[in-house]
Amino acid sequence: MSTLPSIQVALDSVMPDMGLAEVTRRRLLVRDSARRSIGRRRMAGRAMQAVCLITVPLGLAPLVALVIATVSKGAGALNVGFLLHAPTPEGVPGGGISTAIVGSGEIVTYAIALAVPMGLFIALFLFERPGPIASAVRFGADVMSGVPSIIIGIFAYAIYVERFHHFSNVAAGLALGVLMLPIMVRANEEAMRTVPVDLWEAGISLGARRSRVARSVVLRGALPGVVTGNLLALARGVGETAPLLFTVASPTLAMTLLIFNDATQPFPDAQQAAWGTALVLLALVLILSVIARTVAWTLNRKTR
Amino acid sequence: MTGEGGDGAAGLRPWRKPRRLPSSPLYAIVRWGAAGLFAALVIGLIVSIVSQSSQAFAHSGISFLWSGTWNPDAGDYAGGTLVVGTVITTLVAMIIVVPIGLGTSVSVSELIPRWLAGPLSTSIEFLAAVPSIVVGLWALLVLSPVFASDVEPALEGLPVLNTVFRGPAYGPSVLLASVVLAIMTLPTVVALSRTALGGVPIAEREAAMALGATHWQVVRRTVLPAARSGIAAAITLAVGRALGESIAVALVIGNRPAIPHSLLAPGATLGSAIVNQFAEASPGLGTSAVIALAAILLLLTILVNVAGQLLVRRRGGRRLLGVRGAVA
Repeated sequence: MSTLPSIQVALDSVMPDMGLAEVTRRRLLVRDSARRSIGRRRMAGRAMQAVCLITVPLGLAPLVALVIATVSKGAGALNVGFLLHAPTPEGVPGGGISTAIVGSGEIVTYAIALAVPMGLFIALFLFERPGPIASAVRFGADVMSGVPSIIIGIFAYAIYVERFHHFSNVAAGLALGVLMLPIMVRANEEAMRTVPVDLWEAGISLGARRSRVARSVVLRGALPGVVTGNLLALARGVGETAPLLFTVASPTLAMTLLIFNDATQPFPDAQQAAWGTALVLLALVLILSVIARTVAWTLNRKTR
Repeated sequence: MTGEGGDGAAGLRPWRKPRRLPSSPLYAIVRWGAAGLFAALVIGLIVSIVSQSSQAFAHSGISFLWSGTWNPDAGDYAGGTLVVGTVITTLVAMIIVVPIGLGTSVSVSELIPRWLAGPLSTSIEFLAAVPSIVVGLWALLVLSPVFASDVEPALEGLPVLNTVFRGPAYGPSVLLASVVLAIMTLPTVVALSRTALGGVPIAEREAAMALGATHWQVVRRTVLPAARSGIAAAITLAVGRALGESIAVALVIGNRPAIPHSLLAPGATLGSAIVNQFAEASPGLGTSAVIALAAILLLLTILVNVAGQLLVRRRGGRRLLGVRGAVA
């Protein structure tokens, strides 16, 4: 044991007549108790760490099981005909999901046409006009992003289906667009926040129009974040069922509705089709997510 | 904003006709138009839900919120049982997801070595993108039979808890719906709490270590308290998602609009009732009553989400919002 001069000096000054043996005894006492303390604390910590680590497989297991089940059961249904043929009535073999794929594509196209430009312009508005109006719009986006998708479905039903008296992919696209819009606005705004205001001011002071600065400075700088955010919002929109429930004419006209419809049917063929569609949807969503992240990564490296 | 004056522009670019305002009216119109349209959408959504539900509220009075049974055949419309069902399902889901989600995010953020934590958190974020209908399909066709044959009988056999887990075991039940909600909200909880934990400054950890704290004590006494409001926001936003999830719940809850006598009994939530009743509702009062359920749900989720946003704001958590947009 090395000597601790400072403690020795302190002890000498407080108790000058204490012998060396007594000092050593007390020092060992302190040392042992410290060792016991750290040992105890380490043991308790290890136990808690173990408890924490156990929750990781516990939480991931269902998610992994779900992906594995979808892949293994869906792969059985999947072939070229499944993707290219229209659904057939129960009992007739050779049915596919082509109408659902086309319908989903159409709905998503309408949603993109509505949400992507609006999301960009609203974000530019928030970027260029900070103030009470921008705060109100931002608050509105926060509120909207928490509104359950089923309520957005009812909203689209109320303003389109009920008014024009027919179900339509346009109404479904409107609902999906309204659902994706707040997510896109917030993601775009976060991305634009990374562009220094100095650059914007420099652009303006060079005599460029606001629109030109927005395009060449703000959008250019924010591009990776904008692309990523929009793609992730799109991935979320593609997988939504509830906004389509009251807006699309038939469950065979959208992939998520087809799954919802077929899942509750007792026929093995229908359930098989549901698994196959689920796999297509899952693959689509994962591909979109991967592209989103790859784009962010590549563009980030390029602009640096 | 500065930069409206165009004198500098005229000086720098003499070959162009000087402009007083370097701004095109079209751009201003588009920008303000988009913001205005968005405001109109938000207000329109709330107004249309409220106005369409007014007939039901006029019929049943404000007691629609808490009392009575949902029985469209007898002309009884009241949301009370469904509100109870929604609250129970969400509560049980949170009892499941909060410990697991917190444990996972602490592990990923603090305990697991970085080479493993990186891929792990990326895959959790990918799992957040799994569509809710796929979770519902899996829960209905794979999980529900397992619940009916193994999990629920086992829970019935527990000595004290069987007052809560009282049979018979069907499969579709409030418990299964809660488990599904827990599975769906887990990635949200983990991603947001992990961001909150990662945001705690290294200096604070080092200070705790310098005082002799063990690794766990640093996590427990320093990192967790510092990230508390971020974690609270994560849980609040997960509650918002769980309240509003309708499709997957409608597939697995069994759809019986009554107060469930046990967690193994079928039940219904506001969302699942809307999914099941809206198409069949009789025009007029029936439809209005279903939209009134939507109005209650809207109110609940807005309250929860505003609370969540306030929690995020208080910690200056702009990054949290960004992540939320990305994963939620």
